[in-house]
Amino acid sequence: MARVGVFIGQFHSDSRIAFDSLASYAANLRAVEKVRLLGLRPKVDVKSLAEEIRRERLDRIVLAGDSPGYFKPAFTRALELAGGDPSEVRLASFREHGAGSVEVTDRAKAVLACAVHGVPYPLVAVPKPTVVHPATLVVGGGVAGIQTALEIADAGKQVYLVERTGTIGGHMAMFDKTFPTLDCAACILTPKMVAVHDHEMIELLTNSEVISVSGNPGAFKVKVRKRARRVDSSSCVACNACTEICPIWVWSEFDSQLTHRKAIYIPFPQAVPNAYLVDPEACAWVQSGGTRCGVCVKKCPKECINLGEQDQTVEIEVGNIVLTTGYDMLDAAKVERYGYGKYPNVLTSLEFERMTNASGPTGGKIVTKTKQKNRRLKVEEWVADPKGPPPRSVAIIHCVGSRDTNYNPYCSRVCCMYSLKFAHLVREKLPGAACYEFYIDMRAFGKGYEEFMERIKAEGAHVVRGRTAQVIEADGALVVKGEDIVQDRLVQYPVDLVILAVGLVPATGTAELAKLLGVPRDPDGFFSELNYNGDPTYTERGGIYVAGMCQGPKDIPDTVAQASAVAAGVLRSISTGGMGNLDSLTLSDIEERAAKMQVSER
Amino acid sequence: MAIRVNPKLIDELETYGAADVQNCYHCGNCSATCPFSKEPFVIPRRSMRNLQMGLEEKLKGTFEPWLCYYCGECSQQCPRGAEPGETMMSLRRWLTSRYDLTGISRLFYRSWKAELAALILVSLVTMVAFLVMGFSLGHGSLGVYAGAGALFPDHLVHILDLALAGLLAAVLLTNAIRMWWLTTGRNRNLHISLWSYVKNVFLLPYHFLFQARYSQCEKKLPWLTHLAIFLSWVTMEVLVILLLERFHSPETVWAAHVFGYLATIGLLGGTIYAMVGRVRKRETHYKHTHPTDWMFLILIAGAAFTGIVQHASYRWLGLDSVANIAYLIHMMFVVPLLAVQIPFSKLSHLAYRPLAMYLATVHTDALASQQAGAAQTEPVRLAA
Repeated sequence: MARVGVFIGQFHSDSRIAFDSLASYAANLRAVEKVRLLGLRPKVDVKSLAEEIRRERLDRIVLAGDSPGYFKPAFTRALELAGGDPSEVRLASFREHGAGSVEVTDRAKAVLACAVHGVPYPLVAVPKPTVVHPATLVVGGGVAGIQTALEIADAGKQVYLVERTGTIGGHMAMFDKTFPTLDCAACILTPKMVAVHDHEMIELLTNSEVISVSGNPGAFKVKVRKRARRVDSSSCVACNACTEICPIWVWSEFDSQLTHRKAIYIPFPQAVPNAYLVDPEACAWVQSGGTRCGVCVKKCPKECINLGEQDQTVEIEVGNIVLTTGYDMLDAAKVERYGYGKYPNVLTSLEFERMTNASGPTGGKIVTKTKQKNRRLKVEEWVADPKGPPPRSVAIIHCVGSRDTNYNPYCSRVCCMYSLKFAHLVREKLPGAACYEFYIDMRAFGKGYEEFMERIKAEGAHVVRGRTAQVIEADGALVVKGEDIVQDRLVQYPVDLVILAVGLVPATGTAELAKLLGVPRDPDGFFSELNYNGDPTYTERGGIYVAGMCQGPKDIPDTVAQASAVAAGVLRSISTGGMGNLDSLTLSDIEERAAKMQVSER
Repeated sequence: MAIRVNPKLIDELETYGAADVQNCYHCGNCSATCPFSKEPFVIPRRSMRNLQMGLEEKLKGTFEPWLCYYCGECSQQCPRGAEPGETMMSLRRWLTSRYDLTGISRLFYRSWKAELAALILVSLVTMVAFLVMGFSLGHGSLGVYAGAGALFPDHLVHILDLALAGLLAAVLLTNAIRMWWLTTGRNRNLHISLWSYVKNVFLLPYHFLFQARYSQCEKKLPWLTHLAIFLSWVTMEVLVILLLERFHSPETVWAAHVFGYLATIGLLGGTIYAMVGRVRKRETHYKHTHPTDWMFLILIAGAAFTGIVQHASYRWLGLDSVANIAYLIHMMFVVPLLAVQIPFSKLSHLAYRPLAMYLATVHTDALASQQAGAAQTEPVRLAA
C-alpha cells in the first residue's frame, strides 16, 4: 500500500472551505501517513519539502485546496528529488469539482478521498443509470402533442396525452389552408387526430389539466384534474339532439367569437373525442344547482348525459414529460391605434382564419360583419353572417404587437406567411376586391416561401412597405393610414375589412406550468431549451422536454419536425435509462467505489 | 453632382443630444402618426434616414426639423425606441450651429461648461458696466431708484437697450439669411416667384407671435405654456424698451402696471411649470433635457423673480437701495439671456421657427406650380 502525504493549502483569501475538518478527515483515511495544512498562499521550499518526503517515506503526494494546480510543479520537483515517482503528485481541486464552499464539504471529502486513492474524481462520481418508467406524459394536444404522442406510441410505449380543451387539434384545427403549399390543414391533421384516439398505446385525457408533479426524472408522479365533461364520451354518438334543444347561447371560442354555440356543444364536427361536452359556466342546470332546465338529459337518445358529474383527479406515473403547450394570440385590443374591439370590421388573424374556413361560421365566405339583434340578450351584436356584404377592399397589417419594444420585441415568425396566404384567399374568393399588405420587412425564410411571396404578388395583391400607424373610421369606411417608405409618401387607404396579423405569446398557464415543473423560461415567456443549437428539445430539468410553439414561435413544418425529434430523446431515455442525479451519490458510495477502482487499476 | 457622405454624422449629432438613431428600421410609423407630417414635408422619418446615411448637405438644406414641435407622439409609438422626437430636437440644435458662422453656437451646444462660462462672464461684465455707469457716469447714489439722481438713470439704460437690440438683430438677420441660402437660395431646381415671397410674408409675424402651428398638436398644454412664456416676454420687452421712464416715474401708470403684472405671472408660471415637468419627466417632450434648456429656464425665472423684488421694494416698501441692488441682479440675468441665448443658443429659434413656416409655405407653392396637375400634395387616396 502506498504511503500518502496530504498537503492542504488555501490559495484564495475568500475561500469558504472547511479546511480543518477536511484535514482531520484526511488523517483518518487508511493510507494517509502525513497531513499538513499549508495555510494561505504558502511559500514552498523545494529542498526542505524533499527532505520531509524522504523522512516520512511518502510515495504519493495529494495536493488539496481551492485551486492547487499552481503548486504542482514545486511538489513534483520535490518528490523527484526525494527519489519518488513524479507522476504520483495528485491534485484534489475543490472548486473545479463544485465543492468550493462549506455546504458541500461532503463532496470536498469525496474529491479528497479519490485523490488519495489515486483515481480521478470524475471517473468515480458517475451516478448509476436509473430505471425510467416507460410511460410518457405529453402536455398539450395541438399538432406538436399529437405528433409526439404518435411517434412514441408507434414505437410501442405508453403515452398519456393531456389536453385542456374538449378536443385535441389545437390551433391547426382552426386553420383552412397551410402556407406555402396551400394544403388543406384539416386533411393533414384530422387523420392524425383520429389515429391518436384509436391508438391502443395512447390514453387521451381531454378537458384536463396537470395540477401537480412530484418525483424525479425517470419516475414522475403526476396528478391530472379531469374536469367533468358531463357527457359519456364512449357512448355519445354525436347526434346533435342535445345541442338542438339547449336554450343557452354563448360566444364560440373555437370560432374566435365570430358566432355563437350552445352550452352543450361539440367544438367542431371533426372533434376528437367525437363527443359533446357541457360548458358549466353557461349551463343553466349547473349554475342553478340542478333546479332549472336539464332538457338535454331528457332528449338524449343514448342517455349519456350526466349533468351532475364531478371533477376527478387521476394520478399517473411517467418517466418523461413532453411540453407542447403551444401559444395564444396577443390581445389585439392592447394595440389601441388599430381600433380592434372598437370597429367591428377590424379582425384578428385567427378570426379571419375561421371566417375563411369552409367549416367556419360563414361557410368560408369572406364578409363584413353585420349588426343583428340578439333576441335572448336583447342587445345588438356584430355577427359574421354568411349573407353579409363582402368587402370591396381588405387591408392586412403585419407585425401587430410584434417587433415592437412596446409589446413583443421578438418576431412571431409566422405572420408574414399567413398574411400572404390571406391575400391569396381574398383574391381567390373575391377577385374584384383590392387587397393591401402593409409590412415592415417581409420574412419569407422557409422552403418555398420566397416563391410563395412572388406568386401572391403576381396574383395582384398590393404590397406596401411601411407600417401603418392608425386605423380610423371616416365616411362609414375604415381608413388605414401609413407611410409608403418605398414611394416616400404618406398614404391613406379606405377599406372595408382590416385584418391584424397579431403577434404570438406563450399560452396562458405557461408560467404556472413552468413553476410547477421547475423548467426555466426565456425573457419572452417561452420555455427555455437546454441549448439553442445542440439540444433544442431538452430542458435544464432532466426528463422534461419541449416541442412546438411553447419553446418559441415556429411554423407547422418546424413544429412537426421538433415534435418528432422530441420522441427520439424520450425513446432513448426509456431504452437506455436516464442520467441519475449527481447529488444522489453519498460519500461512502464514492469512497467504496474509489477503493475498488484503485484495486482494479493495480 | 457628387453626393458627399459623412459616416460620422450620427456620432456628431450624439454630441448634440441625439441617441438611438441607429435603432430605426424605417417602418414609417412616426411619419404616419405625426400631426404635422404632410406632403411634401414628411417628418420625421426622412430625416432619420438622411442621418443614418450621413447625408450632411441634404440635412443642412432642410428646414423639416423646424416643422416639428415635439409633441412626443412619434417617440411614444416608435416600436424600436429610436426616439425620433429627440432626434428632431437635436437636429434643430445642430442646424442652429450650422446657421451660426462664428462657431460659438457649436461650442455652446457641445459643451455646457462653455455656455455656462459665457453666461457668467457676460453677467459679470454687465455688473461692472452698470456699477461704472451708476457711480461714475450718472453720479447717482444707491439710495435713489428713480427720477433725477437715480443710480441707474433711464436714458443711459436706454442706450444700452438699443445697442444690444441692434446687435442681436444684426446677428440673427445674418443667420436667417444663411438659413434661407442653405434651404432655398442655393437650390437651383426650385423656382420661387417673388410674388410668392411677398404674399406669404404675413406668416412671419403670425407664426412669430402665436406659434400657430404648435396649436395643432394633439395636446394643447405645451403650446399654451410656450405661448404664456413667449407673450409675457414680448410684453416685457415692449414695456422696457418703450415705457421704461413711465415705469420708473413716481406716479403710477396703471396700463403699464397691469401688463407688467400679467407678464410676470406668465413668465414665472410658465417657467415653473416647465421646470417641474423636466424634473418629473412624465411627458415625452420633457424626458430628455439638454443643459441649455435648464440655463434658459433658470435665467428667465431669475429675471422674473428679481423683477418682482425690485418692483416690490420700490413701490410698496419704499426701499430704494434694495430696489437698486435687485435691479443690478435683474440685469445680470437678463443681459446674458439676451446676449448669449438669442444669437448662439436655444432662444435663436424665435427667428428660425417663423422663417421655416414661411419657407415651407413658399416651397409648397413653388412645388405645386412646378408640378401642376402631375403630383398630389395631399396624401394619396386610392379608390377602393
